[in-house]
Amino acid sequence: MSTTKDKYKKVAYYPGCALEGSGHSYNRSTKAVGKALGLDLVEVKNWNCCGAMEVKNIDPKIQTYLSSRVMSTAANEMDMDVVMAPCNGCYHNLKKAEYDLKNDQDSVEVVDRLSKKAGHKTYEAGQVETIHALDWIRDAIGEEGLKARVKKSLEGIKVANYYGCMYTRPRHIFPEKDQGPGSESTSKPHFMDDLLAAAGAENVDFPLKTACCGGAHTLSDSETSTKLVLNILRAAKMSGADVIATECPTCHSGLEMHQIRAEEQYGEKVDIKILYFTQLLGMALGLKARKVGVHENISDSIRFLKEKGLG
Amino acid sequence: MPIHEKSLIRPENLTEHEELMLDGVDVSGHWSTFIETRIVKDYNENLEEEIGALPGGENIHRCWQCGSCTNSCTVNAINPDFNPRYWIYLIRMGYESELLRDKDIIWQCVSCNKCTYACPRDVFPEGVMKATAHWLEKKGHTDKSPSTHFDEVFTEQIVKTGKIEESRTMRRFFGRTGQALVQPWIKVMVRRMLKGLPVGMLTRMGLATLVAPKTSDWSKASAAIQEYIDEQDEKHEQALSLAQLVETAKQDVAA
Repeated sequence: MSTTKDKYKKVAYYPGCALEGSGHSYNRSTKAVGKALGLDLVEVKNWNCCGAMEVKNIDPKIQTYLSSRVMSTAANEMDMDVVMAPCNGCYHNLKKAEYDLKNDQDSVEVVDRLSKKAGHKTYEAGQVETIHALDWIRDAIGEEGLKARVKKSLEGIKVANYYGCMYTRPRHIFPEKDQGPGSESTSKPHFMDDLLAAAGAENVDFPLKTACCGGAHTLSDSETSTKLVLNILRAAKMSGADVIATECPTCHSGLEMHQIRAEEQYGEKVDIKILYFTQLLGMALGLKARKVGVHENISDSIRFLKEKGLG
Repeated sequence: MPIHEKSLIRPENLTEHEELMLDGVDVSGHWSTFIETRIVKDYNENLEEEIGALPGGENIHRCWQCGSCTNSCTVNAINPDFNPRYWIYLIRMGYESELLRDKDIIWQCVSCNKCTYACPRDVFPEGVMKATAHWLEKKGHTDKSPSTHFDEVFTEQIVKTGKIEESRTMRRFFGRTGQALVQPWIKVMVRRMLKGLPVGMLTRMGLATLVAPKTSDWSKASAAIQEYIDEQDEKHEQALSLAQLVETAKQDVAA
């Protein structure tokens, strides 16, 4: 008999554009963690961009179409029930498309028209369930399961868990969140905290879990982004963290880039490591730092990890 | 004081008499602070409708001015002039000249959606900010913002190939906005990034800049999206009466 857990053991994997570029180490560590946990990731065939913030700004319905094409491929061509997207942007956009197609007739019509012209089946709301990499590990393995598989505890590593904007806001596109015990909270998310705690890390009380890094304007309004990133870095440092754990390639590279920019432009150096949560989990599962792509990050955490007996 | 009256207490709207006696009482200096009388004649009664016709602006009419958007706003916290509630108020009033005072910062919304999260009326203030920024550009009140340039470069690449290759997007963005690609902090960043990378990864990155990643069999989707974009552009032009605007401008020049 299949259980809920089995449903998440084999999922369609949607890495998205960033994970093939600046977020490559997130891609690498997500796959490595999946492998170490015995989970099966089947990449969505011939996928396209989810539309990101940029296409949404030009026209939200085109973003809805682009995201729907990804889900249509997973559902209609690969016969998958679950799509897992580690990138907050992709995850958010697939969820938003799902919401729009369920609630807005205009979006349904535009998506249907574009899908027919493009020559593929129209995605219908409810065909797949979109989940984040956090949901995936939590639902397929669980905290207890993870605890049992830890080979090198993250003990002694103080982590500020940084979730960013797109994972929880706006709440209406995440109907499964805020459903009481066991579900994710949109105001105080805790799934990453739970998983890293299961791997032995010490989570600090970090007030800016869902603050904005200014990722939308990393390049177009660098001044604002640097200010916002500095807030996050300083708050994490003051909370006593050694590491900021991330779950989004845009946040991750935003933090790394503006950590350097703050140092270069303002001479303010905030010494804190920035690692994807999958990199931390991978090392807890006994994988080498290189296997989870720590050397591909811009910020240098290798010496720190060695001191802590990891990697 | 209603928030639109804030304009009355700007320094340029206040007068003081250095020496003034009223009914035998000396009210010189601060004691005689007056607000200049003013008459607003340039209300644009179509403003709400026009912004509501652009993507994201659809729900602006629902606002009841509770201020939750500004209260929760990420950008407001670092720049108090960034005030979504006030702008929504001005747009609904049609107080265009007052809105234009802030025309150069409205595009700076970072789309963190804290306002959308907080809004009890589903106004989607984040969308309204985008619609307002686009309205300012379409009407010619501002040049295209760096953010719009970025969105356009990005979207063009998606329409063409279905996927994004980041370094290409970055190069085109810097090109279009006339900035030098090699800014000092970017140099430092690239140097640190390359330090730890294995040769295989470098080769892969190099290849990606030559041969952009593509979604195969994309041409039909590409054509369908482009057709939709053009159709929407035309619709927005009509909603904003842009043809009329051009006509009026021509007549002004001729006169």
